[in-house]
Amino acid sequence: MVRFLQACADGLLTGALYAVIGMGLALIFGVMRIVNFAHGAFLMVGMYATYVLFDYFKINPYIGFIPAGIALFIFGYLIYMALIRPIRDRSHFMQILMTMGIGLILTDAAQLIFKADYRQTNIDLINRSVHLGPFGANAAEVLSFVIAVAFVIGLRSFVVRSLTGQALRAISQNAEIAPLMGINLVRIQGISFALGTALAGIAGGLLLPRLYLFPGVGEDYTTKAFVMVVLGGMGSIEGAAFGGLVLGLSESVTSLYLGNQWALIIDFVLFLLVLSFKPAGIIGRQRA
Amino acid sequence: MRFKAIAAVGILSLASMVPAFGQATTKIGVITSLTGSLAAFGEAHKNGYAIALDEINAKGGVLGKKIELDFYDDQSKPDQAVQGVSKLVDQDQVPVLLGSYSSESTKAIVPAVSQRETPLIIPTATADNVMDSKSPWIFRVCAGANDYAKATIAFLKANGAPKKMAIVYENTNFGQSNMKAMTAAAKEVGIELVAVESYEAKSPDYKAVLQRVKQANPDVIYFCSYLLDATTLMRQSREVDLNPKYYTSAGTGFAAAEFPTEKGAGKNAEYTFSVSQWLPEAKWAGSKEFDAEFFKRFKTHPAYHAIQAYAALRVAAEAINNAKSLEPSKIRDAIKNINMSSTPFGPIKFDNGQNQHPVLITQVQQGQYRVVFPADAAETKPIIPAPVWSKR
Amino acid sequence: MSLLKSWKFWVSLIVVLVWARMPWFIRNNYQLQVLFRITLFAALGLAWNLVGGYAGQLSLGHVAFFGVGAYGLALFADLGIPVWIAVFLAALVSTAFAAVIGIISFRLRGPYFTLATIAFAEVLRLAATNLNVTGGAIGLTMPGLFVGRTFWRSFYLAAVALAVISFITNYWASRSRFGYYLMAIREDEDTAAAVGINTARCKLYALLMSAFLTALAGALYGSAFQFIVPDSILTIDISIQIAIITMLGGAGTLLGPIVGAVLLLTASEAFKNVFQESHLLIYGVLIVVVVLFLPEGIVGGLQHRFRKRIKPPKDAKPQPVLGGAAQ
Repeated sequence: MVRFLQACADGLLTGALYAVIGMGLALIFGVMRIVNFAHGAFLMVGMYATYVLFDYFKINPYIGFIPAGIALFIFGYLIYMALIRPIRDRSHFMQILMTMGIGLILTDAAQLIFKADYRQTNIDLINRSVHLGPFGANAAEVLSFVIAVAFVIGLRSFVVRSLTGQALRAISQNAEIAPLMGINLVRIQGISFALGTALAGIAGGLLLPRLYLFPGVGEDYTTKAFVMVVLGGMGSIEGAAFGGLVLGLSESVTSLYLGNQWALIIDFVLFLLVLSFKPAGIIGRQRA
Repeated sequence: MRFKAIAAVGILSLASMVPAFGQATTKIGVITSLTGSLAAFGEAHKNGYAIALDEINAKGGVLGKKIELDFYDDQSKPDQAVQGVSKLVDQDQVPVLLGSYSSESTKAIVPAVSQRETPLIIPTATADNVMDSKSPWIFRVCAGANDYAKATIAFLKANGAPKKMAIVYENTNFGQSNMKAMTAAAKEVGIELVAVESYEAKSPDYKAVLQRVKQANPDVIYFCSYLLDATTLMRQSREVDLNPKYYTSAGTGFAAAEFPTEKGAGKNAEYTFSVSQWLPEAKWAGSKEFDAEFFKRFKTHPAYHAIQAYAALRVAAEAINNAKSLEPSKIRDAIKNINMSSTPFGPIKFDNGQNQHPVLITQVQQGQYRVVFPADAAETKPIIPAPVWSKR
Repeated sequence: MSLLKSWKFWVSLIVVLVWARMPWFIRNNYQLQVLFRITLFAALGLAWNLVGGYAGQLSLGHVAFFGVGAYGLALFADLGIPVWIAVFLAALVSTAFAAVIGIISFRLRGPYFTLATIAFAEVLRLAATNLNVTGGAIGLTMPGLFVGRTFWRSFYLAAVALAVISFITNYWASRSRFGYYLMAIREDEDTAAAVGINTARCKLYALLMSAFLTALAGALYGSAFQFIVPDSILTIDISIQIAIITMLGGAGTLLGPIVGAVLLLTASEAFKNVFQESHLLIYGVLIVVVVLFLPEGIVGGLQHRFRKRIKPPKDAKPQPVLGGAAQ
């Protein structure tokens, strides 16, 4: 039982990071209906940005992720304006191709700039543990969990409360009517694309101390992000956060009882089951 | 007919570079992973080759001509590597090939190379199925997964003969090959395998896997980990308080230059054993110089992948000089008979295509790799058992 | 008889003959191998076109059929079944598998469908990596469909044959009632259903044909490269490559996949030889530029422009509107 609960706790710690990744993708999908294949590449860029701050300016990644996130916001906005906006009326597959192209460019550019070397940051915190009764957790993981949860809650209240957030929701509910109500479609789409990119970057920054870094690091996270977003009901921001937690939990528990090689298979099976039987997501509400 | 010929040439002219005739240099073909998931190792190859290249050319090259390297990027994919063989041999007509990086890519190119009767010198592919074909055109500079397993078992037998082992391997060709080799080697000496666990690389969390291992309570753990996963594995071993008497490993991640330092696993790396093909501190003449030169150029210390690439190119150059010809079959015979008694990678001599390279066992002691086995190469005694985490 | 009078038929025939005679003109096996890859991907693009082009169902899971073709050939041949029979058995298994995928994923639309196809392919890749029978990540040695000195020439000709079959299937789909049904589904699935088209069945048939052809290509490809691992034969990269070739060449056109395969694969090979580490970046830029400036792909864009010039208002395609059929 202790082992099971410990696995759940570990799963949630990782799941919160997944949640941030998933929310970014859900935001972009919700507002633009674009399946963003560059999401993992954005995560990688966020990791490198945080890494550069750490390596050259000795900024701790748990602080460095903030400027990195801001940089990624601007970066995302520019990408939207230059490459996504001109094709926003095209078929969704052309849009997928565009994001794939962007991903390729980013990954290879990272290799040209930083070389393919594996890098990691070794901060003091990653080697500390916190204990609670029979349970233990890595201090850095707990910190990134707290930050991730703060972002999930913050983003949610931004979407629900702020004017921009409401416009954003309006567009994701009905992209044709929203402009008639005086919503500036381009501006809102630009902001949500930038925000989605920034979230991927922030998740990257938070992941950096736990993982290692190389140009191709983001690839697996793109597919993972799809899984989370589908689990939560596509386009729903809260749903994606929930999907991230579910994914973290299922990976951890599956690894404990069946072995790690089953974890990814279970992810995809879960994904297919939800897609087939409950396309609106596990929590079952129609998308927000 | 002329129209067709023009059409054919037109379509292909983009894809093809004109093969050079009577060139002033001798081209040697290199396939490695310059892009894709294994690009870091491709880079290590490239750097190792660069040092060997300058060294050979400074001494006058081969047969009075300078060597030039003809690279083909396999993008970390086996099928692309096969295409590379074709590009380098059929079109550029190189007399000898080096590569590729990974076992998958290398295994894939063996038939293509044999078919073209061109010698292939393999620098780094450790999976044993690479040498299965027994083709007379294939030569491997590095030791293989079987050698890793045998060396580790020999070390264990000489140092306490533990009974229960767990294998934790990365779910790739490298990991699976080493897991199979160790499974066979352990069975042979009657070591019981109490857990055999795989994991997906690039995951940030292996605690559940390590929990399963802990449950099985092994005396020895054999990690087959490729990358900086080694850092995460050791950190999380401490977190789940996993305390075998021996942490052993199949090199790579556990033998990377940064692993025992603060840039890698730091203190968590202490007491881990690893197989090693080469260390800057190795006793072979030129090891330290290679390390120094590498550091001067690339601002980082080399792992053994770089020196294996270096050694492969040295072998190729030596063979061409011995053969006094660029005829592939003559070069092949020269490689067969090669006997380089002193290189920075140790003596090189092939037996059925396999270089009899000794596998060392190292242990991290005070942040340094120290050779502890075999006895004739050992710098110091192994520390066994590894102290439990709470006592460190 | 009308076929023999059509200039298009004769042009196609000449092109095919020239294409098939290519090995006699080129200098070496490398060029032949590049040509093999181009031809095979043209065939794959044409096969994909049935589903992705005409029916507008954007699958990114075709590597599953491709991989089942290759693995099926290896495993059936291992049982002692003659290789060419094994190829067809593998293709049949792949088709059966496509039926399962199709029945489940065709209930989904747009991006949901695309994601479901990715998931199926990924499950297969993971299974192949973990199962003993498929050799795990260590891989399998493939039986040779052709051997000897004419190895690449034979594989090349087989690829040409497959491309021709795929082309004929496409041609038929672009002219037949079945093809019109598919296109109706692409334009507006609900309307198509409302006028009495059995949309589920049409889409499924298109997928089955596509999967069969894709599996044949997979078997050829695996056998030509002699050794397969999940990361080379079941990787999503292949699905993406097929889709990019067709979309950039022009989805839903007869020539698009062929033009796409010739241009993109030639470019990618040339870039690799010239730019070394940065070749993927250049390739990425190429994709972005085509998407930005040729929204209907190369062939689609040219056709569009050409037709417009001849009879401007009548034939001009309506611009797709936001929230159109794709959703």
